[in-house]
Amino acid sequence: MRLLVIEDEKKAGEYLKKGLEESGYTVDVVGNGIDGLHQAIEEDYDLVVLDVMLPGMDGWEVLRRVRAKKDTPILLLTAIDELEERVRGLELGGDDYLVKPFAFVELLARIRTLLRRGPPRDIEHVHIGDLEIDAVRRRVRRSGQRIDLTPKEFSLLQLLARRRGEVLSRTQIASYVWDMNFDSDTNVVEVAIRRLRAKIDDGHDTKLIHTVRGMGYVLDEEREDS
Amino acid sequence: MRRMSLSARLTATFVAITAACFILVGWLLYRAAEQRIYEQDETNLVLSARHIRRFVAELGSVDDLKAHQDRVTISVLGDPSNALRIVDGAGRIVVDHNAMGYRLDIQSVVPTDQRIVSSMLRTWHDDRGLPIRGVAVVGQLQDGARVTIVVARSLADREVLLRRYGRDMALRLLAGMLAAILLSYVLVRRALRPLHSMATDAATIHAQSLHTRLSAGNAPAELHALSGALNDMLDRLENGFARVWQFTVDLAHDLRTPIGNLRGTNEVALTRPRTSAEYQALLGSNIEECDRVSRTIESVLFLARADNPQFALQRVTLDVEAELERIADYFEGVASEARVAIEISGGATIDADRELFRRAVGNLLSNALRYTPPEQVIKLVAGEANGTVTVAVENPGAGIPAEHLEKLFDRFYRVDRSRSDSASSTGLGLSIVKSIMELHGGRVTVESQLRGITRFVLWFPARRTS
Repeated sequence: MRLLVIEDEKKAGEYLKKGLEESGYTVDVVGNGIDGLHQAIEEDYDLVVLDVMLPGMDGWEVLRRVRAKKDTPILLLTAIDELEERVRGLELGGDDYLVKPFAFVELLARIRTLLRRGPPRDIEHVHIGDLEIDAVRRRVRRSGQRIDLTPKEFSLLQLLARRRGEVLSRTQIASYVWDMNFDSDTNVVEVAIRRLRAKIDDGHDTKLIHTVRGMGYVLDEEREDS
Repeated sequence: MRRMSLSARLTATFVAITAACFILVGWLLYRAAEQRIYEQDETNLVLSARHIRRFVAELGSVDDLKAHQDRVTISVLGDPSNALRIVDGAGRIVVDHNAMGYRLDIQSVVPTDQRIVSSMLRTWHDDRGLPIRGVAVVGQLQDGARVTIVVARSLADREVLLRRYGRDMALRLLAGMLAAILLSYVLVRRALRPLHSMATDAATIHAQSLHTRLSAGNAPAELHALSGALNDMLDRLENGFARVWQFTVDLAHDLRTPIGNLRGTNEVALTRPRTSAEYQALLGSNIEECDRVSRTIESVLFLARADNPQFALQRVTLDVEAELERIADYFEGVASEARVAIEISGGATIDADRELFRRAVGNLLSNALRYTPPEQVIKLVAGEANGTVTVAVENPGAGIPAEHLEKLFDRFYRVDRSRSDSASSTGLGLSIVKSIMELHGGRVTVESQLRGITRFVLWFPARRTS
């Protein structure tokens, strides 16, 4: 998959390129709006990450002109978190909108969602190592042994399983599982993960739920715990 | 267009009123004088006509009349504007007293037996255009002969008199008006002088000198009220500026800690080669510090946005009990780890912004969880009285000393500044609750007993009837 990043901040451009390339994408970075527009139109990209505040031609103009010619998904980055800005971005044809500073895993999740065609399939049966999740009957087994989960614990596990291998931030988890969209001073997600981990991983040599310090949590078979 | 000054406007108004009064009074006086003069003339004409007819009736014949001409004309002598002519039945002029040569032919003639009154007077113009007023009556002599008596008077001299009177009056009115303009301008200027001194005072006030106050001095009561109101406004502004200043200082302090941590840990890490595990731990810790800065920035931005009067609430109808259950569910894990129970009671319906409601209750609950000892219960109580919906968050604990209660909702205010959990708390949680309540037109209150119950109450005003 080829991505184009239009971002004038040098450091930001560098880390986005590095991070996205390590996540398996081919990435071109352009430092201004005029070149960005040219490249977005002339070449074929699967997705464009567009900073709104750009020298030369601002992101809104780039967005408008790209949309006049192409349907490439465009993810907007901005430092301004105002409702009008969001509305404007989406009205001009932006596909998603992320406010700086953002967690890199959040950006990655949004990019994956935009690149995925159609809604994510709800898989009825998931097997991760010796963990089995039966989404229909809402039952979980590990090494054949039944594990009792509260409804929220089940939703949390299901979310992690559906995004297997992806790091999920605390904010994402709070929003998906509890529909709470504010940053609380309390470590609610940490505690929930700890309790889920106690039920899933305790007593097993292979740990499935991993903490990526500072970033979030991931469910996977093999991962070096940090 | 430049706006008119207040003194110019007041003067103009005053002059307009004075002019209107002067002109009205002048016109009335002029009309009164005119009427008096014409009435006087008419009375004279009527009396003369009556007198002459009576006198003619006593005479024997036209010859008698001729012989006694002097006696007849005596009543119109002395004023050259007066005229008298007596014509016999054959149209011959018997008596003619008409020094100015007025035209004296009159069509309507009063018969001999009719009493002469002023309504019978007629006005006409002679060949020179002079206005003449007079009356013609029939007189009968002793021998039965009839004569026509014309008594008239030119109005020209009266018109000249009135014109002169009008002109004199207009000149005096004009002089009076000029005097009024001058006087009123001077008076208005003097009355407004305190305003100028207030303006001079106000011009010296800047953000750095907000302590300056306006002095009304010996100004009239109206300006005292104004300067009082302006001074109150300055009090509030000074207060607001002080708060913004304090906020800036606190914010800078608050950001200093994570940035200090970031710098320090990174510097230490770079002093010698580390294992990759150590680097990973360092980077993780860096991200945590960044999150802390982001959270503070997000909170500060939220507060700034909430202060903007254009903030748009997404009001929906909320079932308070269901919302409280959802919030309690969110904190369930943390509560049970702390061995604290959360109890919900009561219920109500409100129109509120769902996200903001959750955030407000969430902040209070997260606060309560931090201060509730194990094996105790936090209560979420919803209630409704007279349309006002209250949501209370109660927790037992050490309590908050009274001197802190008032400042609890101030930005960055922490009861215990040295508390170790300042890393996880932004010190803005309760200010955000307060802002959210103000956005909803409500308020938040707190009461606390030492070693007893601490109760935060959110007050939502009566539902808007729409």
